[in-house]
Amino acid sequence: MNEMNETEAARKKFRKELKSGTVSLVLLSILSRADRPMYGYQITKNIDSGEGAGPDMGQGALYPVLRSLEKTGQLESRVEPSVSGPPRRYYSITEAGRETLVDWTGAWEETRNFVDAILKGDHDV
Amino acid sequence: MSELINEYLGRLKAALSGADPATIQDALCDAEEHLWTALELAREEKPGIQDSEAVRAEIERYGSPEEVASAYLRIGPRFGSSAGGRAASTGRSGPKRFFGVFTDPSAYGALFYMLFSMITGIFYFTWAMTGLSLSAGLIVLIIGLPFLGIFLLSVRGIAHVEGRIIEALLGVRMPRRPIFARKGLSWSGRLSALIRDPMTWKSVLYMVLMLPLGIIYWTVTFISLVLSFWGMLRPVLEYGFDLPYANIGNVAYYTTEWMMPIVMATGVLWLFVTMHMARGLGRMHARMARSLLVRD
Repeated sequence: MNEMNETEAARKKFRKELKSGTVSLVLLSILSRADRPMYGYQITKNIDSGEGAGPDMGQGALYPVLRSLEKTGQLESRVEPSVSGPPRRYYSITEAGRETLVDWTGAWEETRNFVDAILKGDHDV
Repeated sequence: MSELINEYLGRLKAALSGADPATIQDALCDAEEHLWTALELAREEKPGIQDSEAVRAEIERYGSPEEVASAYLRIGPRFGSSAGGRAASTGRSGPKRFFGVFTDPSAYGALFYMLFSMITGIFYFTWAMTGLSLSAGLIVLIIGLPFLGIFLLSVRGIAHVEGRIIEALLGVRMPRRPIFARKGLSWSGRLSALIRDPMTWKSVLYMVLMLPLGIIYWTVTFISLVLSFWGMLRPVLEYGFDLPYANIGNVAYYTTEWMMPIVMATGVLWLFVTMHMARGLGRMHARMARSLLVRD
């Protein structure tokens, strides 16, 4: 029982680390495909409806990443009042963000190919 | 329901205690926006659902306050420049800290702000006074209320611009908040929201205060700069242009040779003092501006 918990916890931790490394790329990609600015909740829904592992990372952890991407100029945002409830912040990708996305996609593919090669064992070690 | 959301926000705030206030503000805004939007959609999608049940489920998905707080803390403070400037000046020896002000961008920003604030101060004061007195005079007429509304809106607009200036020059973050939290208010609703919002009147107070403050800042900084250059340029003025430092009656007074290096060194030192003073005044001013122009 205890052992299973440990395995589970270790897997959770590993997945969390994997996700926190790639979340910026995922956010840029989602916003690059959006035809209009999106607010945080829409983006999290978009991520949840995608394929893959369940939400190991709380949705709340996406917001600081959005803010950090905005701070570095990859995204821009504007606040608009909503019909009811607090105002919403709408994010859209900038030109610099699109360039970064191309660059990071390249880096991601390199990493993925490298890890795949290692896992399959056809890499010269 | 709103109590549950508020309780969550309270816990998030507690988990972030000690963090940069702007980060706390960002985290609370994001969580509030997310949870309210989620609740609204849950109500639409499943009309029979209990609010408390929907909110609990969303909070679960959003993450525990500790988890969310640590995500914000990992990103770091929102405003790099002010934190960087402060970090650079701590943990150094006295002389290094004193002369290090020359490499601190926020000191130059503050110096510029101090010189520039007299112009903005005069403008703000004139605008506020004209607006207030015209509003008071016109209030009995039919255009009185619309005029007051336009004036108060302009005050909020100016407060926003001043916030951006302070962010850029003094390196202190002034979180932006929309004036109207809710959409679809009628004109009279907007006007009464503006009048009832203490931020509006605090902004008017700030605009009025900026005249005396701007004059003080400008005078102190300008005199201090002139004194410092007066000292540093003594040899050029006296040996180059034959300008004495004083003319009393028919007697011209020149600096004696042995005093010259001391006068020059004092001029240089005074320039550093001026920059420290500008930076200190800038920090004080930014604190005051934050309390008057920004809702925390």
